[in-house]
Parts: sequence; structure tokens; C-alpha cells
Amino acid sequence: MSSKPKVEVAREHLSKAQEEAAGDDLRDAVQWSFASLEAAIDALAEKHAIEIKAKHWRRAEAATELHEKGLLPKDLSELHQLLNVERKGMFYEGEDPDLGDRSMEDVLTEIETAVEIAEAEAK
Amino acid sequence: MTPMTKTWEQLAPQRGALAVLRPADAEAWSERLRFDRERAARHQSSELAAITAAVRERARSAGAAAVVLSGSTARGGRTSVSDLDYHVIGIASLQVADLPEDIDLYADELDRFWAKLREGDDFAHWSVWYGCVLFDSGVMREAARYVAEHDAWPDPERKLHQAQGALDFAEQMAASGDYDAALEQVRGVLSLTARWLLLSHDAFPLARDELPEQLEQLGYVDLAHSLRRSIRERPSIENLREGVARAREISGAKQSLSRRAAA
Repeated sequence: MSSKPKVEVAREHLSKAQEEAAGDDLRDAVQWSFASLEAAIDALAEKHAIEIKAKHWRRAEAATELHEKGLLPKDLSELHQLLNVERKGMFYEGEDPDLGDRSMEDVLTEIETAVEIAEAEAK
Repeated sequence: MTPMTKTWEQLAPQRGALAVLRPADAEAWSERLRFDRERAARHQSSELAAITAAVRERARSAGAAAVVLSGSTARGGRTSVSDLDYHVIGIASLQVADLPEDIDLYADELDRFWAKLREGDDFAHWSVWYGCVLFDSGVMREAARYVAEHDAWPDPERKLHQAQGALDFAEQMAASGDYDAALEQVRGVLSLTARWLLLSHDAFPLARDELPEQLEQLGYVDLAHSLRRSIRERPSIENLREGVARAREISGAKQSLSRRAAA
């Protein structure tokens, strides 16, 4: 099934996350943030021949590998796991997201870095 | 035709069926645990069994009162999109992010678990009905006794609320051009809608891949078709949008009916 290039999707999802965060909708901001981060990891993983197989846990591992290879300045696997747990909590248990020590702004900044790197690699 | 409930293996997904097996009876509960051990072995590959063993041991070490293997793995119906689902009772959290599989683990301290059961949380009830009890200090047996004696049943309205809350995001994701994310979201919404419908009809929702057949038995053939395709195939974006529209129509119409009936 055809899909937009992941790098484009990552940027568009990030824009939605930023809009939702600006409107104080933390729930939707978290959902779009997770989708953006996954798309950015997919784009980078594809470029560097890291297999994902549409599995969330493989994306977390890929985030670590991308950091270890010096492609990402920070290991985003922990952020990926946090957002994955929080979005499932919202979806299945109706819970409000808890980002722990992070603010939504911190989350968006970390993801934007990954999106920018994916965009630069795609050029 | 749903089989009569005579053994744990034959536990019919119908309200009242659990009580037929008399889970408070020591011999009956021993039989449940024996059945659970047997199917846990039968339904897992060696890789999955190793992950389950790690989860069980970590939970034990952390002081859990019970660990339950849940979902499609417990039912022996894993698909390519199945997660590994666990319910850990007696502790607030358990670290499993390092294990090599998509794991959905819910950890509930004892008070929270009982509150969920009383409030009709369907995942807590699922553990009692169809979960594979991997170890139990007694809480699962007490929970099964409670469900049987009180005819406790998951609250359909909770699932309706969850489905309706997830519809908008699924719709937006389907329009976003991110196919994989859209497929996952739509599959989730269709599953929630299916679970709500089944519970409303006193049918206990089984594992995800079994829901389409349960829906067909209730006459929701189109929804069943959309859900089945979202699990087993890669339907077009247009098909996904149709599935969301169908779920919205059914949940909206049913909610209106409920409101009119309440008035």
C-alpha cells in the first residue's frame, strides 16, 4: 500500500503536534508526536538499512542504533517508549498522558531534531 | 453454535458462563490452572515463551500477586499484528521495554485491580475469563469467584466512550498519508467498537482476530468485514475510511438509541 514518504509524514505530524500543543490539547499533541517520531525513525532507518518491520519495539531499537552510529545526537528510544505507553493509556484506559519530568515543549524539541536530521538525509 | 460450557476449554463467551464452572471450587480452579499451563506451552513459540518466562520472573521478583498472559497469545490466535499482552497484578509497574517484542503490559496494584473489576474494565475481566494465569497467589481465584457470584460484567459504555474518543484521530490519520499508522489506528477503533457491541449483547469479546466472527453472529457483517480486513490484509485507505465511517455511524446511532431509551 502506497504511503507518502516518511520524511514528509514526520514533518506534517510534527506540525499537527505543535498545533495541538499550542491549543493545550495534550492528548492529541502526544498522539501526533508519537506518530511523527515513528515516521522520522522509519525514514532514517530506511536510509541506513535498519529493519523495522512495522514493529514499535524495533523502532525503539533503531533509535538506539541511530544514536550509536552518530546519526542522532541523543538516544530517542526512551522517549519513544514513553510516548508509546502514554498513547496506549489514552486509547485503552482513557488516561491523561503523563510525561514525567518532560514538558510537551521538550518532547517537541527532541522530535524536531530527529525530523530535521531525517529531512537533511533525504536531500 | 456456541458450545455448552462444561470445561475451561469450552468456556462460552456468554454472560453467566463463567459461573457454570464454579471457580470458587478448589478442584475447579486447579483444573483452570492446569489448563492455563498447558495452553501457555501450546500457544507460544520458544522465543515468545522465553519472553513470557522473563516477564513472569521479573514480576515475581518485584512482588507481584499474579501474572496473566492475555489476548491473542492466550487464545492461540496470534496474527502478524499481534502484541504480547500481559496483566500483572499487585505491583504498579514492570520494566519490559528491553524485551524483543511489542509488549502491552498492564500493571495494577491490588486495589486498582479490584476497582477496575468492579467498575467493569474489560481488560481486567478478560484476565479473569480467558487469561492464561501464569502464577497466582490467590487474587485471580478470588476475582473469578467475585465475577461468578456477582454476575459482574464489563461496562459496554466504557468501550463506547473509548471508541468515540478514538474516532477523530483515526479519521485524521487516515487522511494524513501515513498508511501504517492509519491502519493501526483504524484497526484499534474497529476493535473498540466491536467490543462495545458484543458486551452490549451479553457476548464476551474474545481475542481481536476472533471478533469478526462474533460480530457476524450478531448480524454486524459489514463491520466484521472491515475489522477482518484491517487485521489480515492491507486494505486501501478508502477502505479504512469506510471502516471508520461505519464505526462512527454504528456508535452514533446506538448512542442516540440509548439516550432515547434513557429519556
